[in-house]
Amino acid sequence: MPHNSTSSPDRPERDGQGPLEERVIISLNHVNLSYPDQVALKDVNFQVANGEFLCLTGPSGAGKSSILRLISMDAFPTRGQVRVRGMLASSMNRRRIPQLRREIGFVFQDFRLLEDRSVYDNVAFAQLVIGVPGRQIAENVTRVLNKVGLWEKRHRKPCQLSGGEQQRVAVARAMVNSPKILLADEPTGNLDPVTAQEIIDLLFRFNDMGTCVIFSTHDHGIVKTFGRRVIVLENGAIVSDKLRDDQVDRTARLDDGMYRAESAGPRPQQVEVPSHA
Amino acid sequence: MLSGSQWKYLARESVAGFRRRTLTTGVTILIMSSSLMVLAVLTMTTLNLGNLLDTARQGIDMRVFLMDNLPAQQLAELQPRLLRIPGVADVQFISRDMALDEFRQSLGDDASLLALLDANPLPASYRLELTRGSRTLQAVHGIRDEIAGWEEVSDILYNQEWIDVLERWTYRFQMASLVVGLVVFLAAIFVISNTVKLTIASSSAVIRVQKLVGATNTFIRTPFICEGMMQGLLAGTLAMGLLATAMHVMKDELTGLIVFTPAQMAGFVGLCVVLGLIGSWAAMGKYLGLRSEG
Repeated sequence: MPHNSTSSPDRPERDGQGPLEERVIISLNHVNLSYPDQVALKDVNFQVANGEFLCLTGPSGAGKSSILRLISMDAFPTRGQVRVRGMLASSMNRRRIPQLRREIGFVFQDFRLLEDRSVYDNVAFAQLVIGVPGRQIAENVTRVLNKVGLWEKRHRKPCQLSGGEQQRVAVARAMVNSPKILLADEPTGNLDPVTAQEIIDLLFRFNDMGTCVIFSTHDHGIVKTFGRRVIVLENGAIVSDKLRDDQVDRTARLDDGMYRAESAGPRPQQVEVPSHA
Repeated sequence: MLSGSQWKYLARESVAGFRRRTLTTGVTILIMSSSLMVLAVLTMTTLNLGNLLDTARQGIDMRVFLMDNLPAQQLAELQPRLLRIPGVADVQFISRDMALDEFRQSLGDDASLLALLDANPLPASYRLELTRGSRTLQAVHGIRDEIAGWEEVSDILYNQEWIDVLERWTYRFQMASLVVGLVVFLAAIFVISNTVKLTIASSSAVIRVQKLVGATNTFIRTPFICEGMMQGLLAGTLAMGLLATAMHVMKDELTGLIVFTPAQMAGFVGLCVVLGLIGSWAAMGKYLGLRSEG
């Protein structure tokens, strides 16, 4: 049964004490989505509050990526309503989509970095295209690269980095515009357990700073490490929307054997992240 | 409003396509400039043919020959009647004697042959000067048809045949030029469009990231539009440069002909820039997938 609760013990208190309606940043209301050859989503209902960390899980083809596409307005519902930051997809002027996307960060399984540009330029690119002045770009890129622990490697090209480092660049690029929402579509899919844990930690840290994170994965091993809200999808429908209770072992880590793959590497180096910007 | 860093980026990206595909871009510009040269030469030829036709029309000389032995009164009445015909600007009476004098002068050294004649065989005539607007085949035929029925008139002559031929061929050439010009125009757009499509295809990763981070479609399009316009500018400049050089080399042969002025050449280059703009814009919609978003 779909469950529409958005309260979460993990939600940062600073996100506001007001009623739920005022804190809802994403809302899907009886949403259906069909592609020419398949039905992707069926009567999907849920809301996400500002600053929440939501995990979407389910087998491949369950509709996780379709939900992310709807939120980023890369797709539009066949029926029902999608509202993101107060903007209703069905009545939204398409010309405003770029403005909306400036408030959303994206991280993908395949990183989607520009191979011919350095780490610094990849991150700066996200600021450049939206018209941030040059000096401000330098400040923001420096800040975010320090946060993800890649400042020292800022001159390297993506091909000179490990998979985990490339994903950290992708996270830095997603976060450099200080988005309200971060959509992570299978961000650990190409990573070993140690590196996957690094990325998850990084996303938690950005969430702790107030960014709403929606994390999709088909891997239940990853979900088990989350003391957060988890929506399970199957065949395009929500089959469960639950808060994992605080009894979840937050000390459990993917590289402690909860992940399917064997952990071979050393414990990930912890990235120093300032508590708040 | 774009920031300074955005302007720098767009300027850099606009020339990046040239740097990445020097050969393709070079070939595109060569093909375009050759096509545009053809277009320019056709345009000049059409202008010159039109000019030639105009000059020929200036020389249309309509002669109305009169019956012999017309009474003086009847001869005098003919002049105002002819002047009343629409399209006739002026008339000049040429008596039989004047006609013989003209003929004698035209014979030159052979004029002595005229002494063999017993009498002046030439009829009197009126020479009609036509208004500028009536120096077309259609108007001349109209005037001829009106006069032909008059009892005082024995014959009407004008340099019909070669004007007919010239007018017919000029028309054919203008139509052919129009068709060729249109084909060249479309071909130039097609060539530029394809080159820009190559640039777009090789920039797909950048475009994808731009869309992800909220770049406006105008921002995404601008470098490609600029690239197309620069290709048009370079091709047009090359074509006009070659044409100017050729005109300079052949200036003696071209004396008296209409050739492009520097201002017209600049206008032609401007047209090429517009061609580049249209070509690159045509490449956008389909390959950028930006139709649904601003």
